[in-house]
Amino acid sequence: MTLSKPQADAARAHLSSVLIRTGEEDRDAFRELYALTQAKLFGITLRICGNAQAAEDVLHDVYLTIWKRAGGWEPGRASPITWLATIARNRAIDWQRAQGVRRASPIDDAPDIADPQPSAEALLLDDEATRRLHACLEGLEQQQRDVIRTAFFDGVTYAELALRRAVPLGTMKSWVRRGLARLKDCLGG
Amino acid sequence: MADRDPLAGEFALGLLEGDERAAAVRRLLAEPGFAADVEWWRTQFAALFDLWPEHDAPPQLAARVETSLDTLTRQSGHATDGVTTLRSGARSPWPWLAAASSAVAACLLLFIAVEPRSAPPVSQPIPAARPSSVLVAMLGDAKSPVAAVYDPATGALRVAAGPGVPDARVAQLWVIGGDGVPHSLGLLAARPTVLAPRGADRGRIAPGATLAISIEPLGGSPTGLPTGPVVATGVVARV
Repeated sequence: MTLSKPQADAARAHLSSVLIRTGEEDRDAFRELYALTQAKLFGITLRICGNAQAAEDVLHDVYLTIWKRAGGWEPGRASPITWLATIARNRAIDWQRAQGVRRASPIDDAPDIADPQPSAEALLLDDEATRRLHACLEGLEQQQRDVIRTAFFDGVTYAELALRRAVPLGTMKSWVRRGLARLKDCLGG
Repeated sequence: MADRDPLAGEFALGLLEGDERAAAVRRLLAEPGFAADVEWWRTQFAALFDLWPEHDAPPQLAARVETSLDTLTRQSGHATDGVTTLRSGARSPWPWLAAASSAVAACLLLFIAVEPRSAPPVSQPIPAARPSSVLVAMLGDAKSPVAAVYDPATGALRVAAGPGVPDARVAQLWVIGGDGVPHSLGLLAARPTVLAPRGADRGRIAPGATLAISIEPLGGSPTGLPTGPVVATGVVARV
């Protein structure tokens, strides 16, 4: 199922207005924001934290942070769902790093990252930017693409990536850097 | 070739840790061009969020968040100051620095725990069982850090000699806590300084908060927020 462009724009505009009202300390707006975004944000903390209790605790903090910082969201700078998802991802990474353990393998019970079939919610994001990034990722060597995706979705460091792939740290860095350089070219940055 | 500084992309992905990450945070604060690159990469990668599988949060979480918000709003007559400041638009790029920097705090803790000898003011890691009250932050890079030690019992914040400053400038110390807004703690000198933060600022010097040094006109920042380059940052950790 996909939303049409106008529907997606409307959904995004609605989420923006809910976020703005949350920034004005409107608790009803906050409740709606929670309902609209909890599944996406829990999906993020669950995958990075790797266990449900930690993911719930982190998400609790994420929503308190959102409440406190919503007033600082600037509509022109980032889409609302990007802003919210970034907070969730960063918090989950903070938690994971604070554990001080390196995960040598991917989390077993984390849901797989789907093939690039944007879900309906995906269209809350900028449709065109999404397509462009996927096209450019497709243009990378598979190895480069895989490690960049893993870094993003699993929130792992260079050291962990190298461990997982059983390659020297320097090799991993050069894979990623070459991938980022090509990606930047392709994206026109 | 597009051999641009790869650091911005690596930082945006969260690949860096330890000294590398701390160095990137400092550049983020000091170099607008680097900050713009990081922002560009974050925007690009944001397109990947749509592939993230959704998963309903546990049903009890909504009530848990509500309860915490009730407590928060009851407590915070003054906490709203921070929110107001955020709205005024003077925040960028501090708020998410505060979030990003707790990973740095984690690394710093690890650093102190693993390599006690390379963390000068912390002579020995104190066994965790004893709830020590002293908080420490190392500002700047590993080679020439500025150490700050805060003793909540006395309210004294001891700061080593500040960084070198140009003529007619002064180094100013800031704390960035949960509200993401820099609050001035005072001015630093070329010799070690003892500051006595007041009221709310004492509470802000807590584990995970960021301390930062900026270069300001004599007398300190005229605006109440850093106006000059940020030359060193560090995260407060309990020792």
